Amino acid sequence: MHPTPVHPTPAVRLDHVSKRYPAADDTYAVHDVALDIAQGEFFSLLGPSGCGKTTLLRMIGGFTDPTEGSVLLDGQDVTGLPPNKRNVNTVFQSYALFDHLSLADNVAFGLKRKGVPRAEIRERVTGMLDLVQLGHLAGRKPATLSGGQRQRVALARALVNRPQVLLLDEPLAALDLKLRRHMQVELKQIQREVGITFVFVTHDQDEALTMSDRIAVMNDGHVEQCGTPEDVYERPSSSFTASFMGTSNLVPGTYRSGRVVLDAGPELPVGNRPALTDGSRVNLSIRPEKIWLSDLEPDMARVGGVVRETVYCGPTTTYLIELAPGVTVSVLEQNTVRSRMEDRWSGGEQVEIGWKPEHCLVLH
Amino acid sequence: MNNGNTASTTGARNTATTTDAPSTAHAPSTAHAPGTPGAPRKQRRRRRAAERRPRFAIAVTALFFALLYLPVGVVVLFSFNSQKSLTVFEDVSLRWYTAFLHDDVILDSLGMSLRVSLVAMAGSLVLGVALALGLVRSRSRLGSFAGLVMLVPLITPEIVTGVAAMLLFKGLGITLSTTTVMLAEITFSISYVTVILRSRIAALNPEVEEAAMDLGATRRQALRLVTLPALLPSILASAVLIFALVFDDFVLAYFTTGVDPQPLSVRIYSAIRFGVQPTINAVGTLMLAGSVGLIVLALAIPRLFGRRGGLDLLSGK
Repeated sequence: MHPTPVHPTPAVRLDHVSKRYPAADDTYAVHDVALDIAQGEFFSLLGPSGCGKTTLLRMIGGFTDPTEGSVLLDGQDVTGLPPNKRNVNTVFQSYALFDHLSLADNVAFGLKRKGVPRAEIRERVTGMLDLVQLGHLAGRKPATLSGGQRQRVALARALVNRPQVLLLDEPLAALDLKLRRHMQVELKQIQREVGITFVFVTHDQDEALTMSDRIAVMNDGHVEQCGTPEDVYERPSSSFTASFMGTSNLVPGTYRSGRVVLDAGPELPVGNRPALTDGSRVNLSIRPEKIWLSDLEPDMARVGGVVRETVYCGPTTTYLIELAPGVTVSVLEQNTVRSRMEDRWSGGEQVEIGWKPEHCLVLH
Repeated sequence: MNNGNTASTTGARNTATTTDAPSTAHAPSTAHAPGTPGAPRKQRRRRRAAERRPRFAIAVTALFFALLYLPVGVVVLFSFNSQKSLTVFEDVSLRWYTAFLHDDVILDSLGMSLRVSLVAMAGSLVLGVALALGLVRSRSRLGSFAGLVMLVPLITPEIVTGVAAMLLFKGLGITLSTTTVMLAEITFSISYVTVILRSRIAALNPEVEEAAMDLGATRRQALRLVTLPALLPSILASAVLIFALVFDDFVLAYFTTGVDPQPLSVRIYSAIRFGVQPTINAVGTLMLAGSVGLIVLALAIPRLFGRRGGLDLLSGK
């Protein structure tokens, strides 16, 4: 993965950083990650737990030192500097509020350490608490707040210092679904308002897709793919990314001059792929919502199958369709197409499905 | 289903409600069982018997507290006696309190005990908190070994600790004095502070200290501004506990004290060997009042910090 320069001096540059724990059989928590995060960008590190995304964030924050490579903030090498010497602030997963201090004193903590004049501290703290809509609670202690409010205090406490980069470690993970959706929108708005670079760690692909300018999908200590939400969702470069970003049908097969012979038998046209040689093992990846069940167009790849399962989910219906013994794909259909129960496909029916060739990815 | 006949202490009403829950079909027969006209009266008598039973429990409890506090009550009562007798209460007077206030030897001892308690409290707090912080954060084998060794003073018989301390001081050629008592008491008290604080520190969220450093605090500032305030209720509770323990301590003080002044507990012990003076009753009453005051303080501290219950802090939870 090569860094793509977006801005002459990126806000954060991770220059081939690695983190190895000698005690744990020399395994890498992070392995040779090179990333440039542009000024003002909302950048997400996305991956399953244990993929190294939090370790990477802690390297930027100064809580963990890389064993190899270096961390640059705004062009300055900060590798080895302690957290208090870096102009970045963190919103911790547990919020880590100071329970013995009022909200206002929590938010003022960083400014006091910097020796900002008292009058300015008061002004900035008030402004920041108003921004997160907690101005009326300034004198309260954190223990009296709800989860969403505590989350906002943590955000205000970090943002008030006007850091170069704000690091967020799964800040929404502890909130319930509805509040999380609300905070996603709010967080994005705040980021646009303050114009600070956000580096956001999450394991929730929906969250990453809706909020980010760019996403780095991580797996097993390295970056699988880095790009815009559309890039990683529509054009996953690996089977891991394809399956991690939402549901995807991955069907194993062998490439043979413009066609893929599925292990289960059927042969599908995929167009000429110069990168592939005959006989390469591949996975076909097709998103469930990109597969058509009816009104197929002439240029589509078509394959027959039997409906095995029909799962009604409100706005959509998911069909599990068996193409050949052992090869089942899921197909997602909006319920506007077949709105009544009796119009939907039912189990055992013979159907023909199809997709546009550009929606079918051939992955190694 | 014939619980009505065995009449549990909680009475028939309770029996009916507990039995009809799982099997509604049997409920009516249980409620009216056995179906004879004399049954309700019998039940009522049993209920009365059941209500009488707690009186027995109350009596036992009362006896327990009487045996526990009667001797103390006698001391308090006779401290106000106008006569020297320890058996006949004559009249209420503050004679022995006045005598105590004019007894320079006892006053010196009280002063020394207070000084020793305060110094032991301060010394063991500083060392105990530091040790607890170190033990919780150490990941080395030496750390877990130190954590075990730290517990030894808690289980060593105090007389062993006392004799050992005395032999150490003698062996090093140090004259026994107020200072040696202080050193011995500090050593003895560190374990208590560490045990109480260790569980509190382990329960702290490590991200909070990281957050302080993230916001520009140095390691030392993070400790002072964030970690210690979070530990303050536990620190104050152990301070009260150590003060009370050291003030009351006799064994360790007896072996490590010099001749003059002696700690109050040692002084009282020597005084009693030459016949009981009623002044001792007055001193005892004052010590009792002081201890009660400390307990009230220990209970009040957590409330001052907006938490419920105080004894949980003394047990370090």
